[in-house]
Amino acid sequence: MQLAVVRRELRGVVLALLMVAVTTVIAYFLVNYFYLRRGSVLYLVPVLLAGWHLGFLPAMVAAIAGLLWSGYLFYSPDYSFVFFVAQPFEIINLVVFLVVAAVTSHLAISMKRQTELARRREREMSGLYTFSRRLAAAPSASDIYKGIEQHLANLTGRKAVLFLPGWHTSEPSDPNAAVPERVRVAISQIEKGATPESTFDDGTGNIWLVRPVSQKAPDFGVIAIDLGRPQVESVDGMREQIEELLSEAAANLERLDLAHAISEAKMRAETEQLREALIGSVSHELRTPLASILGAATVLRQSPIIEKDERLHSLAGVVRDEAERLNNDIQNLLDATRISRHQVKPRPEWIEPADIVNTTIDRRRRRLAGHNISIDMDSNLPFIYVDPVLTGQAFVQIVDNAAKYSPPGSTITVAAKRNGEEVELSVEDKGAGLTADEQSRVGERFFRAPRHSSTISGSGLGLWIAKAFVTANGGRLAAVSAGADLGTTVSLHLPLPAHPVEVSADD
Amino acid sequence: MTDPSPVVLVIDDEVQIRRFLRAGLELDGFVVQEAENGSDALRWVTMKPPDLIILDLGLPDMDGSEVLERLRAWSAVPLIVLSVRSNEAEKVRLLEAGADDYVVKPFGMAELLARAHAAMRRQVRGSAEEPVVKVGPLAIDLAARMVTISGERVVLTPKEYRLLQILAQHAGNVVTHQYLLKEVWGSPHVHDTHYLRIFVRKLRQKIETDPTQPQILMTELGIGYRLAIPETLGANAASMTAASS
Repeated sequence: MQLAVVRRELRGVVLALLMVAVTTVIAYFLVNYFYLRRGSVLYLVPVLLAGWHLGFLPAMVAAIAGLLWSGYLFYSPDYSFVFFVAQPFEIINLVVFLVVAAVTSHLAISMKRQTELARRREREMSGLYTFSRRLAAAPSASDIYKGIEQHLANLTGRKAVLFLPGWHTSEPSDPNAAVPERVRVAISQIEKGATPESTFDDGTGNIWLVRPVSQKAPDFGVIAIDLGRPQVESVDGMREQIEELLSEAAANLERLDLAHAISEAKMRAETEQLREALIGSVSHELRTPLASILGAATVLRQSPIIEKDERLHSLAGVVRDEAERLNNDIQNLLDATRISRHQVKPRPEWIEPADIVNTTIDRRRRRLAGHNISIDMDSNLPFIYVDPVLTGQAFVQIVDNAAKYSPPGSTITVAAKRNGEEVELSVEDKGAGLTADEQSRVGERFFRAPRHSSTISGSGLGLWIAKAFVTANGGRLAAVSAGADLGTTVSLHLPLPAHPVEVSADD
Repeated sequence: MTDPSPVVLVIDDEVQIRRFLRAGLELDGFVVQEAENGSDALRWVTMKPPDLIILDLGLPDMDGSEVLERLRAWSAVPLIVLSVRSNEAEKVRLLEAGADDYVVKPFGMAELLARAHAAMRRQVRGSAEEPVVKVGPLAIDLAARMVTISGERVVLTPKEYRLLQILAQHAGNVVTHQYLLKEVWGSPHVHDTHYLRIFVRKLRQKIETDPTQPQILMTELGIGYRLAIPETLGANAASMTAASS
């Protein structure tokens, strides 16, 4: 390698001297026929040319040779190489010539380097651009992988092989994909996370670069690139280029993955829709027989024969109560479907807040019979402007919830209060309470505290429905508890309208 | 009820519903006729007008509301609607179209009977034989236009009295907001429900023991008001009501 450098420099020096010779011939001609007197600047031409094409050493050789020849031609009175310096300024002239020659040749050389670098960048950029355009249009991950392999192969002039997770199990059928044993070992190590990347000689003198496609996403696979036998100093440049290329590819893979995720979400949504439709129709079908069961149970319960027998009487009551419970569950499913389908359309009107509480307690009288109900309502609460039915159903849910999660005989306090610019309807029980974690998850669809799953039946829909209904009315649901088994207060907060209802004096 | 057994026509396409209705109604002293579709029902009513109609809305041949409209064109027979749809707007429409009351399926027999008897009482009251409606301590003398609580006279404004009077005439049955507004304030105010809220609150303060927990003037959310079942109901029905609650 050293020898080649010497040979190249030697060739440069010879060429530089040749250029000086040609210049001398021209200068000689000019001096003799056109009486040129001070033409040393002519010798800057071979210096510049040598600097541009041949390098610094040939340029300096050309400068010194040019200096000698210009001394011979322009400064010696008798055309000899013996310098006759008539005046001190002539020495300055010669020195300046040397300096100018050195500087210009240096400039020429660095300019050439810059130009070459710019050209190479341009080539790389256009390659990368083509690559990224191809990637952007790639409809699938496998197209991107193919693109990566091909582009890297073009770049190095050798080959690049991509290994996706699980490559161990399926041997590639493509013979081009075969790689030396050392490369396989390196890939396995990278997959294990032992090293981020590695560059090594495969034993035959070929240098391989093995690295993951993306350092962030190991799922995108590992790539092994045969770099051939590059000069040591160009390996870093190649690595940089490969890095750039792969980060572009990884971005596109991420995009595709996102698209994949989106299509999955779409499928899930369709499944959800189907499920909702199914729930809707099944619930509807269930309700008709349920109406017969419930109705028949109430008739049986009040028939004179059964009324006489306490056992049968209470049995008929069980049928009635269970049918009612089932009906409530179905109603919840239907409500949930309505919420998911965004079919909850509030029809607000002016409401007496106490009416919501009273109607609910009336409707749930039987379910609350085992509890001690305490009612605490402000008189003269301001009217609220909400959908009475939805708000009522939301309140039924929180009352049901209190009855379900507090022991029979305990007190349930139902309250209606004004609280700033809100009316607050709350239900406080002395039951199971909420842990901090449960408290943060109350109102989530299907959320049920695991500690109740074996003891209390439920769907986890109730408070979710209540929350959805009250939110649709511009209000909010809050659940607070001091902790497990310390009771719970669930409240509906309904905003007061900006313009309260005007009291008409029209009696 | 000392009259010969009242006749009820049950209009429902579901045989199981008809079966339990028949049992329940017969136990309560009704004579039951059945129709499984709208046209049969209309034929029945013209041939032998019943004392009560129970109408299911989901019929195979025509919509229940159509049966109701055709009936109401010439008959004022008490009519209770069975609805599966918990759609308040529809209930209001049916009540406006002339249904006396509704029950939502599934329902208990006692609830239906209470509504039915209340609707039938309206007929009796229409003939002015019983001018006093009593609910708990409250007595509304429709003839003397006088309201008393435990015998003590209550002073009401004319509009308050009018409101109470309408509810008393339909005692035990729901009266829609729209109907009350139209009757008390006039047609331009049928959507001014806040008038009603204000007057009902005032009225409750005068007639209820605890106005925040009314026992007499009950609210039907999204629909209207109902005066609690008066004490003048038939003994049989009253006992069933008590048993179920």
